[in-house]
Amino acid sequence: MFNPQLQRPSTRILSYNRVHIRHVAPLTAQQRASLPPMTVPLLQQQQCGLTGRPVKLSKPHTSSDSFLPNQLLCLLDDNQGNGVDISVSRRGLPLHECELVVVHSIPLDQEIRLNDRPLKELGPVLRSELTTSLSGRHLYNKLVYLCCRHYDLCSTTVTGIPMKEEQNASSSANYDVELLHPAAAHDDLFKSEHAEGLVIPSKEGLPIETAPLKWCTPKSSVVELHNCSAAYRICPVDVNSRPSSCLTNFLIGGRAVMLEQPRKSGTKVISHMLAAHGGEIFLHSIPSSRSILEDPPSISEGCGGRVTDYRITAFGEFMKENRLAPSTSGLLKRLEGAPSYAKAIDHLEKSSRFWPMVISETILFNIINSVTPLPQLMMKETLTEDEVIECKRVIYRIVGMETNNEALPVPAAGARGKGSKRDEQYRQLWAELEALVRSYSDTSSQHAKVLACLQECRKPPQPGAGDDVTAHAQVTLNRKLSTPGQGAGAKDVGKVGGAEVEQGWRELDRLQHMTEREKQDFLQGEKQTDAPPPKKMKSEDLLMRSGGQTLLSMWNNRLRTIHAKRAHEFDGRVDVDSDGKAKLYIHLEEINDQEQIAPTSTSAKKG
Amino acid sequence: MLVMIRLLFGAPYLNPKLHCFESHSKMPTVIALDVSLSMSRPVLTEASEEYQRRHFAIHGINTYLDVLSSTCKLEFVSLVAFSYLWEQLCTFTRDFGTIRTALNKVEAYSKTCFETALNGIRTLISDEWNNAPCQVVMITDGSLGIGAGSLKASLQTANSRQPSEKFPLPFNFPCKIHIVCIGSTSDPDVQRSLPYYQKLIDMAGYGGELFTLDGGISFKSVEDVFRRLAEKYFSQFWGTLCCGNFTCPVQLFPKPEPLVRDVDEERDTYNISDKIEIIGFLDIKDIGSPPTIARHLILPRSMKDRDREDGKGGDGKGNKPEEEEDSHDDGKTPSFTVLLHGGLKMESMVAIARIQKDWFGMIYSWADSKKKSNLMLALFEPGQLSVPWIGPFDQLTSCKEYAPETLYSDEEKKSPFPVRSADKHSYAYNCVVWIKPSGLQSDIQKVLRHARKLPDKLQQFYKELNRTRRAALSFGFHSLLEALAAMLERECTLLPGTAHPNAALQLTHSANFLLSEAATDATQNLTPLQTNFAAGSNG
Repeated sequence: MFNPQLQRPSTRILSYNRVHIRHVAPLTAQQRASLPPMTVPLLQQQQCGLTGRPVKLSKPHTSSDSFLPNQLLCLLDDNQGNGVDISVSRRGLPLHECELVVVHSIPLDQEIRLNDRPLKELGPVLRSELTTSLSGRHLYNKLVYLCCRHYDLCSTTVTGIPMKEEQNASSSANYDVELLHPAAAHDDLFKSEHAEGLVIPSKEGLPIETAPLKWCTPKSSVVELHNCSAAYRICPVDVNSRPSSCLTNFLIGGRAVMLEQPRKSGTKVISHMLAAHGGEIFLHSIPSSRSILEDPPSISEGCGGRVTDYRITAFGEFMKENRLAPSTSGLLKRLEGAPSYAKAIDHLEKSSRFWPMVISETILFNIINSVTPLPQLMMKETLTEDEVIECKRVIYRIVGMETNNEALPVPAAGARGKGSKRDEQYRQLWAELEALVRSYSDTSSQHAKVLACLQECRKPPQPGAGDDVTAHAQVTLNRKLSTPGQGAGAKDVGKVGGAEVEQGWRELDRLQHMTEREKQDFLQGEKQTDAPPPKKMKSEDLLMRSGGQTLLSMWNNRLRTIHAKRAHEFDGRVDVDSDGKAKLYIHLEEINDQEQIAPTSTSAKKG
Repeated sequence: MLVMIRLLFGAPYLNPKLHCFESHSKMPTVIALDVSLSMSRPVLTEASEEYQRRHFAIHGINTYLDVLSSTCKLEFVSLVAFSYLWEQLCTFTRDFGTIRTALNKVEAYSKTCFETALNGIRTLISDEWNNAPCQVVMITDGSLGIGAGSLKASLQTANSRQPSEKFPLPFNFPCKIHIVCIGSTSDPDVQRSLPYYQKLIDMAGYGGELFTLDGGISFKSVEDVFRRLAEKYFSQFWGTLCCGNFTCPVQLFPKPEPLVRDVDEERDTYNISDKIEIIGFLDIKDIGSPPTIARHLILPRSMKDRDREDGKGGDGKGNKPEEEEDSHDDGKTPSFTVLLHGGLKMESMVAIARIQKDWFGMIYSWADSKKKSNLMLALFEPGQLSVPWIGPFDQLTSCKEYAPETLYSDEEKKSPFPVRSADKHSYAYNCVVWIKPSGLQSDIQKVLRHARKLPDKLQQFYKELNRTRRAALSFGFHSLLEALAAMLERECTLLPGTAHPNAALQLTHSANFLLSEAATDATQNLTPLQTNFAAGSNG
């Protein structure tokens, strides 16, 4: 009798078809009558649909071949071609396309007496073919072959995979594993004109060709970003054989394997990569031809490339905070069809409202420990009373720092030698802080409270100074202005606080005309003694290491170090080494002149 | 011998949508200059010196290279001279100076033959660029050539050739062919040739244009035509990179071309929008190595470029003081692209950017060599599921929507990705495969291995035995049950004297079951024999 278990594979093929091609349609009663009995249940399973390809597996009932209804054989052999019309299915759905493949399987000990009939149009929508095969392994090969043909698959054999022996774990042998995948994965491989010799007969004995690609043992488990032009799902030919499952387990475990093209000579060419993502294994195509992007300019050669103090670490944190995640069904429901990425953009906008890009342009983010958790809290949607108090505490802390005239970490002198005077630094700090708080102040009334507190605590701004931003803080506050380009930021600042910029420049100019001594006094303000500046510490280091110096120079160095520790060296003594003479009050006259001019002509710039 | 079939594939495992299609953005350019004798025909000009058409062509190419060197510095250009034969005078280079030098040495040869030139170009592109898309600029003088090799003759026979002598067009790679005709449009020869040139461009099938001079041949008209060509087909792409409140004017190189895709007899065209908007970030290990269809360098636009643009606007900004121009020191003005690049590189992350409705890309730090790295935008295939393991792009959201620490943890390597597919693949199942004798053999050996270690491996023994039995039943391989029973009986007789008595009991129990009627009932499970040796069955 016909073995009912054999139905399973054919059914599977059918259901598989249904996914690939859109639908499989049932046949009408007449058509069913004209088809072999086995086919009918298969077609009936597909309740609605338009196109499909049933594959029927059959086996002779008796030793004769007459089991195949003569109608079908006649149809296949009929050269007239005036075949059946099955354009409307039993349920009235139009049938667009049907391809019936009959696989006639014969026991191993029998002779195939039926000839294959090639694919033939049997009518406007029905095509059919008959193919024969010995049963067992041969039938399996035939089915794989049909799969390859129907789904446009082709084969790659990964060669030389080192595997430990099952019995003897210390020795290893090389295995090959053959994989099936969409044929497009080989497009690049055969595009080049040197494609000959790239395929060999299937190693698993399939009636197809396979491209052998050499396994390259991955050196590290670090996941790199490779340039891939495509990725295709794969399936091993011998699904769960030991070598196959060794390979698949290795890949599912998260390692990626590069595959190398076989070449008799020349350099190694990597053309593919095997890697698993979420439990699915993909064959990635890696372009190996020359790219117009070769030898690109370095980022340091372009705009902003020579700035060295970007806040990269902080930006790393910014990126981590703004990592993406897939939406849960709950979120999707809440969004009611709106794309979830819009939410991500909102969060990005929110966390970048006040974000200086370089260290030398900010004081606030250089004393982040003193202002924590204010920036984090301000970004929140809502603030509790306690959190408002936390924020206020930060503000009071800064007030305290200013009262004590505590030193601020002065950013390394930038292009324009900024941030010099202590109270100027505090002014910048306050301006930054206010810009930060202000940018979030419209979030809620609680946020506004923090801004109010800050404005109360901040020293009354100097006459003429803008109350928004200082000249030195580059504030990224184009949220509503939507100015094009961050480069324009400096210009914006110029517009907003023009008067203050003027003042800042004037002070800076004055500072540059002072001697070292005057500067120190100017910056130190009232009787506040700091730890010695790091620069001076270095000279002490120098002393300890000094070799090849005269006794005099060592003595002078030592004296200088001692004096430097106490206070700034008297200028006369500092310069004594150079030419033995020192002019006192070198800029006295200029300064006097300037002070006379300044009040009358505000436009005077850079004397 | 009975070998059973287990279907190779599980549920739908091939996604036909994940299909790569050509991107037109990598575009090496070939300049093909006609050096036939007709190009040496003198041109009557008012100047006292006598110039040939060739000189005008060379002047035009130089103009074209001038434009290119300001707008497409990174373009690879090659120079080919053709007459009856063809010759590559200059290999693909970004150093336009070498092309200019080569142009000066061009000599005059026999007659014009387009087919040779096209064959040569095909060889060059397929050898050097593995059939990447390209552009060809052919410069000729309006003569079609004479005799068998003429364009007229070539086109007439193009459709009736032997496969070995196939007409080179269409190329087997996308190629825009532009033809610049150095000849007065009032010249009847030129007028006669133009339709043939157009035919050639049409045959290439990927666009391209026929450029003719405005009026007669003069240095000005030639300059104009080449400038027109360069500005139309070798222009830059300018856009804005946005990330929250960070914005940065950028140039994409190579210039992205509109993407055309045929879906169900409909033609969809995707244009890249000039706003590249970052929606968030992902770790490199989460994005995997996703398939991308095109890559573009993201270069920050310099102040000078922008000033030039402003100047072009003609609103009087052109006459700003020189010193201010100089004060823009590009290298020292912080740029968001550099900050982004540094962050991405340091943290091994990528930024996901939206470039159009239903079209996304990723931005990452890319290094050709170890030394020079730059910011790169790689475009995914348009659509929502082009990277299946991160799910639909529209459904990506900020981890701040949830408690971020429950999703990401760098210490525990925790991440909400990959998005697992609902499909289970045959290689992920522990399914029974008896395609080859070795598969069946190894399963039976496994049963026997456990049988010899009874009663220690009691649970494993029954698990494997049931698995093998169920597979045999579903394949209709009933004779295997009898064979198994015989094997287990034999194992029973071979048990050493020191063996636990429970082992013999379990083996006999299993063998008897396999021979019974119940063994062929797939719904029944073979369970261990309950014995009093409780200590032995420690599973």
